Amino acid sequence: MLHCDTYLTPASLDEAFDAMAAHQGRCRIVAGATDLLPWAREGRAGDVSIPVLIDITRIPEMNERRIDDKRVRLGAATPIQRFLDGPSLGRALPGMPRCAVWFADDQIRESATVGGNIVNASPAGDCIPPLIAHEAEVELAAKRDGKIVRRRMKLDQFVRGPSRTAIEEGELLTAFECDALAGYGGSFEKVGHRRSLVISVACIAALVKLDDSGRGFEDVRLAIAGVGPVPQRLSDVEEFLRAAPISQERLEQAAEMPVARVQSRTRQAYRREVLRGFVMRGLINALRRAGAGPEILAPELEASYV
Amino acid sequence: MSELRIEATINGRKVKRTAQPHQRLLDFLRDDLHLTGAKEGCGAGECGTCSVFVDGVLKKSCLVPVGKAQGTNIETVESLAMGNDLSVLQQAFHKAGASQCGYCIPGMVMAATAAMRANPFAGREEIKERLGGNICRCTGYQKIIDAVELARDVQNGRLPISALAELDQEDGKFIGANIRRLDAPSKVSGALKYAADMTMPNMLHLQVLRSPHPHARIVSIDTSQAEAMDGVEGVITCADVPGEDGFGVFVHDQPIMARDKVRYVGEAVAAVASEDPVIARRALEKIKVVYEPLPALFDIDAAMAKDAPVLHDYAPDNVTKHIPIRVGDIEQGFAESDLVIEETYSTQAIEHAYLEPEAGLAYVDPDGVVTVISPSQNITHHRHMLSKIIAQPINKVRFIMSPVGGGFGGKEDMIYQGMLALMAMKTRRPVRLVFTREESIASTAKRHPSRTVLKMGLMSDGRIRALQLNMICDGGAYGLSSEGVMRKAAILGAGPYNIPHLRVDTLALYTNNTPSGAFRSFGALQTQFATETTLDMAAERLGLDPFEIRRVNAMRNGATTHTKQKLKSVSLLRVLEAAAKGSNWEAGIPTSRGDTRTDMGGEGLRPACTLGARFETIEATEPQSEVA
Ligand SMILES: Cc1cc2nc3c(=O)[nH]c(=O)nc-3n(C[C@H](O)[C@H](O)[C@H](O)COP(=O)(O)OP(=O)(O)OC[C@H]3O[C@@H](n4cnc5c(N)ncnc54)[C@H](O)[C@@H]3O)c2cc1C
Ligand code: FES
Ligand code: FES
Repeated sequence: MLHCDTYLTPASLDEAFDAMAAHQGRCRIVAGATDLLPWAREGRAGDVSIPVLIDITRIPEMNERRIDDKRVRLGAATPIQRFLDGPSLGRALPGMPRCAVWFADDQIRESATVGGNIVNASPAGDCIPPLIAHEAEVELAAKRDGKIVRRRMKLDQFVRGPSRTAIEEGELLTAFECDALAGYGGSFEKVGHRRSLVISVACIAALVKLDDSGRGFEDVRLAIAGVGPVPQRLSDVEEFLRAAPISQERLEQAAEMPVARVQSRTRQAYRREVLRGFVMRGLINALRRAGAGPEILAPELEASYV
Repeated sequence: MSELRIEATINGRKVKRTAQPHQRLLDFLRDDLHLTGAKEGCGAGECGTCSVFVDGVLKKSCLVPVGKAQGTNIETVESLAMGNDLSVLQQAFHKAGASQCGYCIPGMVMAATAAMRANPFAGREEIKERLGGNICRCTGYQKIIDAVELARDVQNGRLPISALAELDQEDGKFIGANIRRLDAPSKVSGALKYAADMTMPNMLHLQVLRSPHPHARIVSIDTSQAEAMDGVEGVITCADVPGEDGFGVFVHDQPIMARDKVRYVGEAVAAVASEDPVIARRALEKIKVVYEPLPALFDIDAAMAKDAPVLHDYAPDNVTKHIPIRVGDIEQGFAESDLVIEETYSTQAIEHAYLEPEAGLAYVDPDGVVTVISPSQNITHHRHMLSKIIAQPINKVRFIMSPVGGGFGGKEDMIYQGMLALMAMKTRRPVRLVFTREESIASTAKRHPSRTVLKMGLMSDGRIRALQLNMICDGGAYGLSSEGVMRKAAILGAGPYNIPHLRVDTLALYTNNTPSGAFRSFGALQTQFATETTLDMAAERLGLDPFEIRRVNAMRNGATTHTKQKLKSVSLLRVLEAAAKGSNWEAGIPTSRGDTRTDMGGEGLRPACTLGARFETIEATEPQSEVA
């Protein structure tokens, strides 16, 4: 169990930083607690005592939401479920709703935050690939000499390895900003043992925009997780598809490209096979949602992968 | 320690209370407010037995620190049925028969309530998706989803309210009639008390120190520091057992707490009672046990090896039980056969994963009767064993069976009831023990892992002439139900088939793995897996339809089993017929299928699971109605 002597719920960033300074080395940040509480159990960390827990979910800035044509800014404590409330957030960030629907379950998603998922930096963290595909930047804040200072960093630079990030002592993840990609088709594919409540064995996020003719790719963004220590953007595949006409052959060639990247320690052959089918399925689903009709994408091809 | 002041609205009432900062909302509701409709099935967000609404949003309260409840509006399952009236959903669960053990049901009802609030018109796929965070181990999901659809249709006026009413029932007819469960209202409302929901005045909480070693000699146990701790009311070890220490469904080879040796990781070694479970847990860390690790056995081959370490003195060959069956002349049977197939099969340990982790409450009543309340599947036997263990006459021992939140055989063993009794006797106070999910998995019985070598001889028309089956099971550290499981495995292993020459051996061995025990189907699963798979292979080799080969061998009314039991009626042929029909079976040898299959996608079969049924609804939502 997770034991603490004090549970603080600061109402502002200032208060949070003061609490962090006052309890330096004896405190831990809590957002949704969905990683923290299961971690402090038998078989994992066991009984853990942390003197002070600091809950950041009631800080207004952590729940911010700003959407314009180019960028979307969301507070770090945004629960995953918000991507499923209605169409507007999903339209701006088409990579997120499918990720959200495969993430845990409806109840966990109401607690689990995007910020927690990012800072936890699990190789199976589902939010990271779609956010990388959206060119997400994270904003980190700290209080130095009485002033709140902020810095920004690309998400793929922030995540350094399994459970390792660039966050520093005394810093909080306050928000993340992404490209708004209205008009893109988005998909998220996940391999796991069951449908709900399942940690990814591997996952992929695909974002596709059709060109004016509707027969070619204008833009493609792909990111995968679970095949190496950190989630990665598939820039070579994106390059191969960008500005190319849509064809079965081209898609199949593209799906072959990332297979060599599989580095995970276990079940390599399985993961490679999965990845190939996966990239196909991700691209096909994204293409469909971007508006590709049956004349562009044969239904038979779809049937064999989706 | 700075206590938290929690002011919240709970089920419509203002509540002002102090809480411990480490508590979870689930602890606060259950322990402090005695709202026990929310249950702890896993404590890790995986099962959904603990769901409550926080400000209208359903959350798993085992993952909500109580500090987050400050200023919120909380609704528990207890709020759904106001007065004596069950909600429409609860009535629908009752009507649809959607409650078996009932342990998951309050959570299911809550998830269904949330689903209907989110989309009162949700289709079946969307309902499934929205209930995805809740696990049921016994009702199955069909009736639960049926219930939600029924409630939806009644709420939307598509079905009359009378659709929820009592089923039509022929007078006095119960068998073959669809009647409602008498205990369902208590389950759908969350009112039913399982052992972990029960409290008594002055009650203590028990925590158990468990072995970190698979096999070790206990050199010494020093409990003095734990006993000296403030708040500790009692510590027990095997030294506190006054009588003959030993339990088991057949052989009584397992002590209440480890005596002289530990034989598996997770075996109970000592236990502490305190009013505060946190103090009891901390006290466990103060118990000093000196172990001398011994070589351990982790599989059946190691257990059978020459000079293998011996786990129990009474069984120098590490054999828990061997059951042989001999019919006819096996060698002659193989000699007469046209085809002989020999294969090796193995199966793994399986956890029952009943949603209710083990729990119990014990006290000594005013007449000195040691009373244990627990979801035991075998209270009479437990009572007799405990009477010997605590050296009390049988009329001074009482077992009360609390509602069982799923057992499947896994709650037949007296794994913890003895500790509860001893602590109640020692402290003269009521004592409660509630296992964590991890403790339940680590310390209680599993399905026997097995290895079966099966040799089958058949005639070219498919008739079995001879069957030789040799199954060796990993029985784990203690006997539990191994003997019975081996018997059933042997008796039923060759299947409901006429076989003139038979040689069956089933054997359970001691190892240092978690003990194996009873589990639905009791050994027949392991042996029949081998027999049935071999029959499929035989069908392929002989060019027969797999159903046909079974029909050819089927026992019929009046048959005598391999162990000489006369069967008045045998339903096998009817079962085969129903299975062939239900699966749209295409008759023919298993390898005969062409490119297209006509057995897939028919009635009763459904496509693979996927997610995203809700997107249609989401797309139809007006953006301005979204909550920011
Ligand atoms: C049943 C279950 C199913 C799950 N399924 C999935 C799944 O499908 N996919 C998936 O990716 N994950 C899954 N998870 C894991 C978990 O829910 C997610 O990683 C979640 O996003 C974590 O967010 P949180 O707010 O709950 O984090 P918390 O547990 O509160 O925090 C996680 C870590 O991040 C730190 N932290 C949190 N917020 C900040 C911040 N703003 N600044 C600095 N540090 C911070 C905390 O100190 C802690 O170390 C599942 C968990 C459970 C229990
Ligand atoms: S999900 Fe909370 S107890 Fe299982
Ligand atoms: S009725 Fe669902 S777990 Fe028993």
